[in-house]
Amino acid sequence: MNKKAVIFGILVISLIVVIATSMSSSTDETFDVDMTRTHGSISTALGSPILGDPDAPVTIVEFGDYQCHQCHNWFVDTKPMIMRDYIETGKVNLVFVDFAFLGRDSPKAAQATYCADDQNMYWEYHNSLYTSQESKIDNGWASSERLKAFAFNLNLDMDLFNECLDSEKYSKRVQYNSQQARDNGVRGTPGFFIVDSDYNQTQIGGAQPFSVFQKILDSMI
Amino acid sequence: MIEIFKAVFYNFKFLVLSLVIFSSMLTILLLISEFIFLEPYFVTHIPSGSEMGFILIVVLAGLSALVIPMNLFRIINLKNSKHKMSGSIFGTIVGSAAGACSCGPIGFAVISTFGSVGATATAFLTNYEIPIRMIAIGILVITYFTTIKSLKSECQVTF
Repeated sequence: MNKKAVIFGILVISLIVVIATSMSSSTDETFDVDMTRTHGSISTALGSPILGDPDAPVTIVEFGDYQCHQCHNWFVDTKPMIMRDYIETGKVNLVFVDFAFLGRDSPKAAQATYCADDQNMYWEYHNSLYTSQESKIDNGWASSERLKAFAFNLNLDMDLFNECLDSEKYSKRVQYNSQQARDNGVRGTPGFFIVDSDYNQTQIGGAQPFSVFQKILDSMI
Repeated sequence: MIEIFKAVFYNFKFLVLSLVIFSSMLTILLLISEFIFLEPYFVTHIPSGSEMGFILIVVLAGLSALVIPMNLFRIINLKNSKHKMSGSIFGTIVGSAAGACSCGPIGFAVISTFGSVGATATAFLTNYEIPIRMIAIGILVITYFTTIKSLKSECQVTF
């Protein structure tokens, strides 16, 4: 009788452990996103939060890699003018979608942005990555330790951030986004799609100057 | 030195060859390095901090346009060995490859085709773009002076 009770007890405990494990792993893969969100032909559901007015008539979808120096050039040279003239005025919004292909630290850096997003600091973290970018790929500037240091500098909850980054919680999210880039014919970073409310879309390849964006955006608004 | 320039570049074929090399190399390298865009509009753009890269491309194209025709002149007219030619070709290829691989379509194609090996090669060529271009320019400068020296002595004998 005692033996049976012990075996039964072990079975119950095993069952509880299995259920708890499966629940905890499914929690890792769960995040609060609108899976129906698309812009033109692109599923941006697992991309960044929308920067600017969500109801703006035109959206810029940027595909980028945090180790890409041309993305950095665009971030420094062109984006501030787009922010000033179009995003802050409510005419345009922007979504960043990861295309992390350049080096081994690229996917990790992209995952880190979503760990920051868990604490509603996506864009602050995104900006800190591009402003801290070093010219050499995989030289350690975007290693796990440095990614955690960037989070620390933004006063994020480090226990939450470290757990998120170390568990690779957003690995599949970044893979999904990179696949979106390939599916939409993006062949390098940065790559842009400008999409209007009628789903007309124009593709721009590379870190092109403000004048190009201005011309297209003005024709769509 | 001026006589050598006259001998090579007063020849219409070599002058055209030089111009073709310069313009095609300049265009291709500027396109690859994203100083020129063709779509959706033709536009030229030098991002801040990229001035050095732009200057090195112009120098590289100029030196290639100078050295390759001079070496061809040696080979065709003086029936000389092709050893000196390899220096100019090597310098040109090395210099061109440096900027070819970055986050643009060529880098993406290399990484997609060759996986981690391609990624390592791309990272190396991107990380050391400026030093590699400087080495390529160095090779072309050395080739230029050895070609001049060689043409001087060979022309004295030939003419």
